Amino acid sequence: MNEKPEHFDEHLDLRVSPEFSADLNTLFKPQFSIPPEIDRIVMDRAHQQLSPKHWRHRILRHISIWRIAAAAAVIIFAFSLNLTQKPGPTTKQSLLVEVRAVDIDGSGRVDILDAFKLARYVESSDRTVKKWDVNGDGLINSNDVDMVAFAAVRLPASVLPAQKTRVQVDKGV
Amino acid sequence: MSSDQELIELVNEGDADAFETLYRRYRDWIYHLAWRFTGNQQDALDVLQETFTYLLGKFPGFNLTASMTTFLYPVVRHISLTIRSKTRRFTNDEEMLSEITAPALKEINSSRSELAAVLAVLPDEQREVLLMRFFDNMSLLDIAAALNIPLGTVKSRLHNALKRLREDNRTKDYFLE
Repeated sequence: MNEKPEHFDEHLDLRVSPEFSADLNTLFKPQFSIPPEIDRIVMDRAHQQLSPKHWRHRILRHISIWRIAAAAAVIIFAFSLNLTQKPGPTTKQSLLVEVRAVDIDGSGRVDILDAFKLARYVESSDRTVKKWDVNGDGLINSNDVDMVAFAAVRLPASVLPAQKTRVQVDKGV
Repeated sequence: MSSDQELIELVNEGDADAFETLYRRYRDWIYHLAWRFTGNQQDALDVLQETFTYLLGKFPGFNLTASMTTFLYPVVRHISLTIRSKTRRFTNDEEMLSEITAPALKEINSSRSELAAVLAVLPDEQREVLLMRFFDNMSLLDIAAALNIPLGTVKSRLHNALKRLREDNRTKDYFLE
């Protein structure tokens, strides 16, 4: 094929008669219009997906995925820094933060699914389960989700529910 | 009338009416495009539904960075080829693309059959660009973005297609001197 990609320097004359587009329209236009039931199917699906109940779940899923991905990225970054830094004299002091790793979904261990479930719970209006106040600040909110996500990635898979886990956080001085 | 961008922002907030407006705005174009790719009404209607299901799945958080037709063209093309490949067996993609974009000569009247005959022998990629420009009324930049090819390639394909039509006695009258 005589194709000159990237550098086409010749003058491109796009002038055509109106009959050209009209005849193309006739040649390539379907003979039948869209049946009303197709409109109904598409719009029913849209109204269902955009209903308040479904929409809340979709928004939550959208937010949760980004939140957990960000938490995982931070942890991986922090972990990679630890691998590249040699131990030695340091000006940092260690601060031990106690995190209660809560088995939210009752699966027998704390994993990323617990963070998902807690995120859904946080978005709901009913926040009465005090044991899910993971960081113990009296509120059940996104900070608790972050804690569970952090713990899920940080802890070994064998960690049991409700086990107290000490997570070390470096704090610069 | 709201712009596509404004409607998308509304759908991102869960507005079903805004989605319906988008549907009404693009359903005919998508159906025509799908019919062009599949050559079959039922397949084209399936493509129409699948395309809007795909679009619906992009919300919330959908960010339109190009024109709507530029975004939708490759989606419709991909879904059409997928649906078509499920219903028919082709030896390769080129054979399939050639068949689905060439007009069916036996179904058109004689006044346009000469144009159809010339279009049918154009290379697939030239015919596709020609139709995007003069049937879909897409800009050259939008065509380049939709096909993910350089603007120079779009111009080259269009130039070669038009040159062929200008030089053919059956289609040269379409062009203004």
